[in-house]
Amino acid sequence: MRSPFRPDVVPDTAILADHKPLIRSLERRGLIRGSLSLGALVLLTGCDVKRPEAVESALLAISRLNDGVQALLFDPNRLAPTYPASTILRPPKFNAYYDVMDVKPVNGTTWRLEVSGRVADKRPWTLQDLRALPQTSMVIKHICVEGWSYIGGWSGPTLRAFLEHIGADLRAKYVAFKTADDYPSSIDMATALHPQTLLAIQYGGDTLADPFGFPVRLRMATKLGYKNPKWITAIEVTNTYPGGYWEEKGFPWFAGI
Amino acid sequence: MMRSVPIRILLGSCFLAAAMNLVHAQSTTPGGMPPPPGMSLAESTAMRFPQPVRVGDLLGREVLRPVESQDILGRVRGLVRDRDGRIVVVVDFGGFLGFGTRSIAVPVDAMVLLGQDMEIVAFTPEQLRQFPTFSPSGTTEVANDTIIKVGLAKPSH
Repeated sequence: MRSPFRPDVVPDTAILADHKPLIRSLERRGLIRGSLSLGALVLLTGCDVKRPEAVESALLAISRLNDGVQALLFDPNRLAPTYPASTILRPPKFNAYYDVMDVKPVNGTTWRLEVSGRVADKRPWTLQDLRALPQTSMVIKHICVEGWSYIGGWSGPTLRAFLEHIGADLRAKYVAFKTADDYPSSIDMATALHPQTLLAIQYGGDTLADPFGFPVRLRMATKLGYKNPKWITAIEVTNTYPGGYWEEKGFPWFAGI
Repeated sequence: MMRSVPIRILLGSCFLAAAMNLVHAQSTTPGGMPPPPGMSLAESTAMRFPQPVRVGDLLGREVLRPVESQDILGRVRGLVRDRDGRIVVVVDFGGFLGFGTRSIAVPVDAMVLLGQDMEIVAFTPEQLRQFPTFSPSGTTEVANDTIIKVGLAKPSH
């Protein structure tokens, strides 16, 4: 039976066909796909479904809402599971947006960690400086958005210890990272201050090897793998949303586990 | 080992609608490419940032084909030195449901580490089928506590 509320002029059904590849790309998210009818798209986009950007921005709005919900659910005192040291995978699994042959090792003696934004002390850091901070070790699971995982053992100063040391504004919204392999990333301050968020400089008790981010990478027990930049060269504390490599391509920004 | 995606991530994913432009999440270039023509296996391993690994930790690992479907080619049965002193990986290769499997010897430099798995990057399954069945005579076993270096690759999916 035809709905009594059906408008006289309906949107062109070809619009749904136009966006089919986009909707198909969401195949693992059955709930969303199932609800992405023409009517839902119209609701989301204020009737402007003819522009592909409008559909994308509608979906991004859902993703941002999801980020907000995850941030609300995040408990800064709740710890992720840890594992015995005997379960550490040696060596760890390599992953990047390029293959291992394209890794460009960083020279640890000339390397400096730049510090900027809402911090009191903006002096650049050496690897020696990072080693001089109190060191924390954790054996945690690395969980990739692709579906694989492994248990790894990481050591280094907590990001909290580092941020407190440089006099960072701990009420700022974001901590942003730049890396030698041009993989910018950023996290929320609550996660930055979580006890299982490390500036990792060691793996399994040894200096971090080149393919895994020497001299320093981020390791968080509470976020997906792609939120952990390697070969970090700069850290900024900011209130301006910094985005990130995959996030600009549509991956969720909060990416909590 | 630990292949399954935690349910929480799946639940979280139900709420999100991102990842629109990418079907292949983390891959813009494929991993586990074969060595370029003319390059020796040792040279190609040197380009793959070989990492120390304990021989005993390699036993029983799945051996995958470096393609998106990550077909399982076999399992690591052991490591030996051949007559020339090169380290080769004895792989229980092929078969179906445990039947028809036979052991072949694959040079370790034809393989890479992929997390808990290994991959054969230098030979296709067709080439591997032509490999003779492994015979231990003339080879010496490599002790479990030996540390060897094996190249890396990013996931092929």
